Order: sequence, then structure tokens, then C-alpha cells
Amino acid sequence: MIPGLVQILLWQGAGEIVSHFVLPHIPGPVIGLVLLLGFLAARDHVPDSMALVSDAFSQHLGLLFVPAATGVILFLPQLRQHAWAVILALLGSVVLTIAVTALVLRFTGPGGDGE
Amino acid sequence: MNNRLPIQEIWVYLSGSPLLALILTLTAYQIGYALYMRSQRNPLVNPVAIAVLLVAVCLELLDMPYAKYFEGAQFVHFLLGTATVSLAIPIYRGLSGLKGRVFPLLLALVAGGLTSIFSAVGIAHWFGADQAIVGAMVSKSVTAPIAMGVAERLGYSPTLTAVFAVVTGILGAILARFVLDGLGLKIWWQRGFAIGVAAHGIGTSRAFSVHPEAGTYASLAMGLHGILGAVAIPMLAGYIPTF
Repeated sequence: MIPGLVQILLWQGAGEIVSHFVLPHIPGPVIGLVLLLGFLAARDHVPDSMALVSDAFSQHLGLLFVPAATGVILFLPQLRQHAWAVILALLGSVVLTIAVTALVLRFTGPGGDGE
Repeated sequence: MNNRLPIQEIWVYLSGSPLLALILTLTAYQIGYALYMRSQRNPLVNPVAIAVLLVAVCLELLDMPYAKYFEGAQFVHFLLGTATVSLAIPIYRGLSGLKGRVFPLLLALVAGGLTSIFSAVGIAHWFGADQAIVGAMVSKSVTAPIAMGVAERLGYSPTLTAVFAVVTGILGAILARFVLDGLGLKIWWQRGFAIGVAAHGIGTSRAFSVHPEAGTYASLAMGLHGILGAVAIPMLAGYIPTF
């Protein structure tokens, strides 16, 4: 597990450097993600120790945003004031997003690709 | 030291170290996760929502300011970046699913991503939400760790973004079935992909519990939406009227 974690941290570091010097509008970890994706595609397999780290992170990804999300207590008055706007925007947006994505898939259809 | 510490002194010591914040965060999440598993992964019993509620109540009871809590909990928060990098592995595993379907999937992803931004921003603005709320709507359909990074760079609140992302995930996981049934979409990979685009991680775990193929495609959609969102949202930002 440790070699995998070290490698992931190194890719994160590489991403941060590229973000700082070349692509300041893209967060460093996302650049690290893309670099690592390229590396995996080139090697054509995922090292076991890296898979272990990644599976642990994906299973409990939610834990990592608890500290930031708890900051919602600072926004409560603002959210209460605009409660309807927030609820309707989130509800409307997620339904529309699912519907549009689904309709595009339906009309660009499975027919053409040998399904 | 032999002399017994009065309780206040222990308290002063504990609340000054990151330990208390870490214990609070992890215990709250552990309780949330246990309830989630006991509910057979019901999306309404979301472990993050439960954990946030528990931590918030504890901070209120302990009279601990949020800034002080975050000072300690930032060690957990820091790992978001590392977790984001490690998303490369599930994306890489899902890439084989793109074969022969690159065009419809990418088109659906772009259409869905644009819909998620403009519908949320539009509706929130229409009902008079202020700029902080409208701005945090922009990246809420992207997986939370990436959405927060994007929001931060654009000067929107990462906190509100994370909260909107979690709520979006819960709503998507619950409502997807009805929307997809209503549209008569029956093919599993298409259903999964639509959930993943709209409702990222929470939608994806819902998709996995319904059908493995739906889960695989939801996971692919969530990963691709993460990358696309991080690259495209900052470029689009000038055209998104957040007022």
C-alpha cells in the first residue's frame, strides 16, 4: 500500500507543479489525475499497491469532504433566506441533467455500435 | 506528573490540538457510514450528511468555532487532493467501456454537463438567490473533491459547493429511476451513464447497487465529468452569468 501511496503523492506533486507554472486555472490534483491516467494507459495495468490505495479512497471519499461541508453552519442564515431558490435549483437541475444525458444517449443510440 | 489535572485543563489541552477535531470527524463519519450500511445503502441515509449534522451539533454543544474545528480537521481535508489523483485508477478501469461508444458518451457528457450548470445557475438566479449561492451551483454536478477545487479557483465557496454536490447526489440517486423510467430508457449502460453525469459518486454507488453494468458506466461518467468539469468550467466561467 505504501509504494502506491508514494506514487500517487508524487503524481499529485507533479500536478501541482504543472498547475502552478503552466495551467494555473486547473487544480493541481486534476492535472495529477490526468498525468497518472496517461501513465496507466502507457503501462497498460494498475500496480496492486496503487489499486489498494485507490479503492480505500473511493470507498470513503465522503469522509474527506466532511470538514469543508460542515462549514455550512456559517451559511445557514443565507441558505434559509434563499431556501426555495436552492431547493428548486438543485432539484430542477438534477432532473434536467439526467433527462438530457439520457435523451442524447437514446438518440445517438446503441444501434450504431453493434449492440 | 502526579498532580491530577482539573477537567478544564484537560479540555484546554484537547481543544488546542488537532486530535479533538479528528476524533469528531471520524467518529461522526463512522456513525453515518454504519447507519448507511444498516439501511442497505439507502441514498437518503447519506453518511456525509449525517456526519456533517453530528459534527455541527457537537460544535454547537462544545461552543467551538468552526474555524478552530477546521484547523484540526484540515488533515482530513488535505487528503481530498490525493483522493482526486487516485480517481485515475477507476477511470482507467472504466475506459474499456468507451470502446465503440466514444461519440454518444462524450456528446451525452457535454450536453449533460452544460445542462447541469445552466439549469442550476438559471433557476437559482430566477428565484433571487445571491451570488455566493449561484456561484456554488456551477460545479455541483462534478464529483465533490474536484468541484471544490474548481470552485476555489473561481472564487466561489468550496463549502457551499460541497453541500450542493452532496444534496445533488442524494436527489439524483433517488430520482434517477423515475426520470429514466419516464423517458423509457431501458438499457443499463445508458441509465448508469446518465446517473453518473448528474449525480457523481452518490449516484454511482446507487447505480452499482442496482446493476453492475450501470455502476461501471456511472463511474466512468463521474470520472469523465470530473476531468471535463475541471478543464472546461474555468474556460466557461466568463460566459456563465453568476451576477
